[in-house]
Amino acid sequence: MNIQFNQVLPVPLSSMKHSADSLWNSNVILEQGKKIVIEARSGRGKSTFIHLLFGIRKDYNGQILVDNKNLSQFTQKDLVDYRQNVLSVVFQDLQLFPYISVYENLKVKNDLTKHFSEDQLIEMLSRVGLADKINQPCGLLSMGQQQRVAIIRALCQSFTWIFMDEPFSHLDELNAEICMGLINEECEKNRAGWIITSLGMHLNYDYDKLIHI
Amino acid sequence: MLQKIVLRNQSKTQLVIALLGAFLGVLFLLVSVHYLFKVNQFGAGSEMLGPNTLIIQKKVSTTTTLQLASNTFSSHEIKVIENKSFVQEVQPVQSNNFGVEFATSDPMLPYFRSDVFIQSVDARFLDVKSKLWKWEAGDEFVPIILPRDFLVMLNTFMSSSGIPQISDELAKDVNFSLLLSNDFSKKQFRAKIIGFTNEVSSILVPDSYMNYGKKTFGKRSKEQITQLMLSSKEKKFGLVEKFLEEHHYESKNAQLVTGRLKSVVSMLLIVIVFISFLTLIFSSFVLIQYIQLLISRNVYEIRTLLRLGYAPRTLYRVFVRYFVLLYLIICFAATAVFLIFKSQIDGILHSSGIYIELNISSFTWITLVISFVLFYLTALVSAQKSVLKEF
Repeated sequence: MNIQFNQVLPVPLSSMKHSADSLWNSNVILEQGKKIVIEARSGRGKSTFIHLLFGIRKDYNGQILVDNKNLSQFTQKDLVDYRQNVLSVVFQDLQLFPYISVYENLKVKNDLTKHFSEDQLIEMLSRVGLADKINQPCGLLSMGQQQRVAIIRALCQSFTWIFMDEPFSHLDELNAEICMGLINEECEKNRAGWIITSLGMHLNYDYDKLIHI
Repeated sequence: MLQKIVLRNQSKTQLVIALLGAFLGVLFLLVSVHYLFKVNQFGAGSEMLGPNTLIIQKKVSTTTTLQLASNTFSSHEIKVIENKSFVQEVQPVQSNNFGVEFATSDPMLPYFRSDVFIQSVDARFLDVKSKLWKWEAGDEFVPIILPRDFLVMLNTFMSSSGIPQISDELAKDVNFSLLLSNDFSKKQFRAKIIGFTNEVSSILVPDSYMNYGKKTFGKRSKEQITQLMLSSKEKKFGLVEKFLEEHHYESKNAQLVTGRLKSVVSMLLIVIVFISFLTLIFSSFVLIQYIQLLISRNVYEIRTLLRLGYAPRTLYRVFVRYFVLLYLIICFAATAVFLIFKSQIDGILHSSGIYIELNISSFTWITLVISFVLFYLTALVSAQKSVLKEF
């Protein structure tokens, strides 16, 4: 499922100047299965990009086509289906529920999708070093630990694309590598691609395309 | 799990106040609607004259006795009464001007006879199906409405004869006879009681029978109208009473008192129903506001769940289910308290000699169902709107 950006420009960014290789105001195709890094300085619209793709914000000019269908014309049902089966997201602010346990945070998503068994969830938590935190409220975890929970939660569904907004910003190299391994495995299973936004620090993993905004 | 997430951040005090308000609203509405219907039904069936019907006559005084003033109604006076805004219908009451004898005519009862007066009244003034209240020459029997006092008198006679007294229902199954006569001829008719009245002291017969009696046995003198049958419009008994007083007319007091009391109590209950309805609306409004407050307090949770792929419908249903369940509990609790209240109030009324029907009218239950459905719809629309705003 390709995603096509046709002269897309978010209204709040319309007063800024955008370079010729910027994603904004140009025609860009995100091809299914590709690994894409979106690089930009702070305030250039990385989170806006995710919000547009997720159908949360509609204040933009141009067209975003998902499988040749205009995203702005998606019905409520289309958007629910899109969020459940096509697009998974790790938000920059993680959007976890701090007062429920790590396991419950994963269960909220997994109850909806029935994607993993309980054992699989526990196994994934073990791989990212959170086996002993399963019953701990998320709010008591460090930011790095919370990022790992948010990444596993995003994997609890079938998807064609997984978007991650600075997902490893609080992770050390080893944990980032473990998480990347998990993400790549799931992408392979789903024949999906990923898009990671980054502040510009070059990452220690392979990607197919680098887009500036 | 969803409930645990989206129904947190509750303010218990606000919730309890909102629920208490709704409980009182439902309770007041049930009590007031129930008793409004019961008051309106009060006395129905025990009296054959319509609930707003009375017989009026001029007050008998020394001047009328000495024939210095007339105690009959002129056609002009009837016209004036007819044109009053509170009057539904007026009709002169016809009385017999021939001999009438009333007697038992049934092997179940000892023979009893008495000279009586009869009067006629049109079916539209009666609480009776008009097909029962008609007579044609050749009919098997004459339908009559007996003054209740007459039955009391009959029972006194039975008692003194060592015969069991007869009830209203039994009296309706027993055969009686009416003997119409003048100086030259007489004729007997079978008669059946179809009801009783407290308002008239004579036996009531259909118009057609009275006309037959007058034509066949009556004196030729011009008829004097001394009584009028009057039916007033709903809840206008106060005006009728004032009018009667101003014009020195009188009516049997019981009907006026009952009518006036029913008018006053009905008006009071309508006001109470209205206040209860407003209470329920405002308390339900507070509960709905509370739903919106709860949604706004959990907006982060709702937004996040929507981003995780939950359908808006799944989420607003959690709120609707929770609050509809609470409202249902309120309805059950209010109904239980209403039934306790009702049994206490009915007991007090009963001990005061006021007998009202003990069953609960279907309209009371319909009111409860309507309030529930309205709350459900309002909660649904409100929760739906608030959740969709975050989608």
